[in-house]
Amino acid sequence: MKRSIAAVLGAVTALSLTLTGCGSGDDDAGGAGDKTLTLAGWSLATTPEFKVLADGFHAANPDYTVELKEYDPKNYDTQMIADLAAGKAPDIYVQKTLKNFYTYQNGKQLLDVSDVATGLGSGANGLPFYQVEGKTFAIPYRQDSWVVYYNKALFDQAKVKYPDGSWTWDDYAAAGKQLTAGLKTAGSKALGIYQHVWQSTLQGFALAQTPGADLSSGNFGYLKPYYTRAVDLQKAGAQVGLGDATTNNLTYQAQFGKQQAAMMTMGTWYIATLLSQQKSGDADKFEWGIAPAPQLDKSTTGLSATPVTFADPTGMGINPKINKNKIETAKKFLSYVASPEAAKALAGIGITPANTDAAADTIFAIPGVPTDAVSKFAFTKHDTKPENPVGKYTAPLQNILNDLHTSVLSGTTDIDAAITQAQDKAKNEVLNK
Amino acid sequence: MTTLVTPAPVRTQPPPARRRTGSRIGRILGYLAMAVASVAVLLPFYWMLVSSLKTNNEVFTIPVTWLPSKPQWDHYIDIWTRSDMTTWLGNTVLLSVVVTFLQVLTGSFAAYGFSKIRFPGRDALFLMYVATLAVPWQSYMIPQFVLLSKLHLSDTLWAIIAIQAFGALGVFLMKQFYESIPDELVDAARIDGMNEYGIYRRIMLPLSTPALASLALLTLVNTWNDFLGPLLYLRSSNLWTIQLGLRTFISQYSAEYALIMTGSVLSVLPIVVIFLLGQRYFVEGVATTGLKG
Amino acid sequence: MSRVGPASVIRGRNTLLGWSFLLPNFVGFALLTMVPVVLLFYYAFTTWDIFGGAEWSGLDNARQMLHDASFWTAVQNTVYYTVFHIPLTLVASLGLAVLLNKRLRAVAFFRTVAFFPYIASIVAVAQVWNMLFSPGYGPINAVLRAVGVDNPPGWTTSADWSMPAVIVVGTWREMGYFMLIFLAGLQTVPGELYEAARVDGANAWQRLWAVTLPCLRPTTFFVVVLLTINSFKVLDLILVMTNGGPGQSTLVLAQYVYRKGFEENQFGYASAVSVVLFLLCFLITLVQFVVNRRREA
Repeated sequence: MKRSIAAVLGAVTALSLTLTGCGSGDDDAGGAGDKTLTLAGWSLATTPEFKVLADGFHAANPDYTVELKEYDPKNYDTQMIADLAAGKAPDIYVQKTLKNFYTYQNGKQLLDVSDVATGLGSGANGLPFYQVEGKTFAIPYRQDSWVVYYNKALFDQAKVKYPDGSWTWDDYAAAGKQLTAGLKTAGSKALGIYQHVWQSTLQGFALAQTPGADLSSGNFGYLKPYYTRAVDLQKAGAQVGLGDATTNNLTYQAQFGKQQAAMMTMGTWYIATLLSQQKSGDADKFEWGIAPAPQLDKSTTGLSATPVTFADPTGMGINPKINKNKIETAKKFLSYVASPEAAKALAGIGITPANTDAAADTIFAIPGVPTDAVSKFAFTKHDTKPENPVGKYTAPLQNILNDLHTSVLSGTTDIDAAITQAQDKAKNEVLNK
Repeated sequence: MTTLVTPAPVRTQPPPARRRTGSRIGRILGYLAMAVASVAVLLPFYWMLVSSLKTNNEVFTIPVTWLPSKPQWDHYIDIWTRSDMTTWLGNTVLLSVVVTFLQVLTGSFAAYGFSKIRFPGRDALFLMYVATLAVPWQSYMIPQFVLLSKLHLSDTLWAIIAIQAFGALGVFLMKQFYESIPDELVDAARIDGMNEYGIYRRIMLPLSTPALASLALLTLVNTWNDFLGPLLYLRSSNLWTIQLGLRTFISQYSAEYALIMTGSVLSVLPIVVIFLLGQRYFVEGVATTGLKG
Repeated sequence: MSRVGPASVIRGRNTLLGWSFLLPNFVGFALLTMVPVVLLFYYAFTTWDIFGGAEWSGLDNARQMLHDASFWTAVQNTVYYTVFHIPLTLVASLGLAVLLNKRLRAVAFFRTVAFFPYIASIVAVAQVWNMLFSPGYGPINAVLRAVGVDNPPGWTTSADWSMPAVIVVGTWREMGYFMLIFLAGLQTVPGELYEAARVDGANAWQRLWAVTLPCLRPTTFFVVVLLTINSFKVLDLILVMTNGGPGQSTLVLAQYVYRKGFEENQFGYASAVSVVLFLLCFLITLVQFVVNRRREA
């Protein structure tokens, strides 16, 4: 009987291997006719950018339509990986973060779109991040960047001067302490700074701003000053500790929107959220502004220099299983999403398009957006480095560094020991395996 | 059916202990322990309920607030218009009922084969069943997904039924329960000329009501609360289940914490009701279905 | 069996009969669970990247595991969780079941309440516990300070206390589930046995040891096996409570599998890790089966 079980098992396995292995070529992505492209998006009801792009493309090319396919925003990559593996993914799909781009590109799940890139000129920020060995595999349509958000009312209350673009991180920390003390004197419970729980709040800046810092080198010494400062701010009570922020599931929207903190660093995507929350009443109504991210040293501060900051671009790529007849149309669509027209359309809904210069006027015309000189400068002028430089080892190294982040900010390990540990792990488990 | 009287009549409870003075204090202590435990167990539910009545930004604060400043009852009306709760609930009920029915039926059927019929290879096969329980689903969900996609079942409710209804858990649970039913009882029925299917249906099933009820409830709860399965398989929004719908809802309205708590309260309610209704089957199954027929 | 006839005929007949009972479940089980699991074992020896590219790499994955400190941390943490979670949950759920199998007033109410943690959304559960455990503002530490503990633990925010915190919540959450199974098992204990024990002068404690526990053996066996498996596979609770942190203090194997697979696209290596997880778990289960069989004999 044991032998017959083994036989049954063998037969079923063989069957399923044929089912999973050999049949993979015959599935057509999407399915609709030649004139219809399918596009992946998420949270369609509250993320209008996909519909804006689809409608805009249809208006410019009435012969073609773009159909949207909805994914879960938090599990987008899990769902997309499954769909691609099963040959059911849409014609065009979004690279939600740069961290997973390598997975798709290296797994041969993206068509070469170098010809589209050539036609774009220099307008699109973030394009170089999608290039591997001289070929381009995705086209960016939005490029956020990290800035400082500050609450003018709380600054006034604490009698601290607004950020003017001249700040280094030490100035930022000093202002945070001053604000906390000033607010306490004024009888407010708000703190000077809110630093969200993500590792990028420190590591993104450290990697972007420190000369010679390289994630894939496995040397993480560049993190030290950033963590020393943050630990000090937590100890001084100028910002909520990581532990309390995690255990209480604090959201940056509520911390800043409900005036629990006078300033925080965050990406430009928060502009649209803050505007709509102030309108709906989920956030208090107060005057706010944005300022350039604090810098490593004085060489990149001031309104005449270009501040260095970070953020991943968001781009679109083409599924290689697309119907051959539709490739040209799909490329046309990619050219459209990076065009100045699309940039203006995106800016109209509060999105920071990859073609930022074409869109600045539109953004600042939206009611509620701060229009002072520093805010305008912060939005338009910056050298934005990627949070996740594309590479084979980026994802595992980021996981190791996330362990470092929670370990140091929870007070479990001091920064020197944590850096040594992380470097050892990087060497043994990732780089030299 | 006369032979069926042979086993000892099974009774639910030992007769109540005779009153002694010491037992009164014990009783009071027992109640006290239960009261404390109830509070510990109920706290998260209290928090869910209270959060559903708060405004969104009131939900997560430092320090924790245990009472809403002003109860927002309209959340319980809003959620029906702002989300597809009705569709989600409908799909979830459908799935839960079908999966539970199939799991209980095929599980108890197979368990009878495993525990009361001796045949070669049986124990090895059973071990294989249990062994697969030890493999985390996350590690083989992609091959499974590709397989079901090739069968054109992904993005249909069938996929969820397929992956949930034939689990090894039900077989294992029912087998262990049948083990505790004496073999003599089955042998007696065989001598009486009853065939195996008859024994299963007329002796084992009635005897195992509490176990069947437990299995049904556990399957129901698992199907009801499953998130990753529907996430992977169900893309069309008209197929979403309550868990998938709620999570998508929260990620869409990223700061609507109060509404998601409203949804959570509503999603737990049906199970609580089912549990309350099913109470007596878990506890009094044998006594009521009896062996004396 | 009292039927006459050559043994082989009976065996053949029984095999057919047995399979006729198994088949409805087996068809679904074999296709949907066994086949993917067998594939997984194959992938464990490859460089599978999920989009079809799976090159045979022999024992490379195993070799990599030997030098992977994070993997060993995950093994340690998983064993830590298992060793404490199993006895705690077993005692709590059995105790509850025995207590609640009585005809006391309000017992029906509490029976329902005890099952609540299991049916609630895990997100809400984790959220509440995290707030209760919150080091600076949580009620648990407020109580500890009030009774004179100067330096209460940091719970989920401290590397030393995060695992105990997760174990407590894990036990709290699962005890209602196993209580229900024990309750069903208790229904099969014949009342006469208690009667007889009482006549012999056995007190409640002795009755528990002499009557209840022996009669519950098949149920207890099921619960122990399931607890073992569940503890080794623990994932969702960790994800929502600590996400493996701080540092790697609560990183468990199932989470490591997910990380390596879906976050780092090393599905071959992830498969190898899950095979190790499976083997660990299966060996212990096998030992339990053997011990159980021996006691049965």
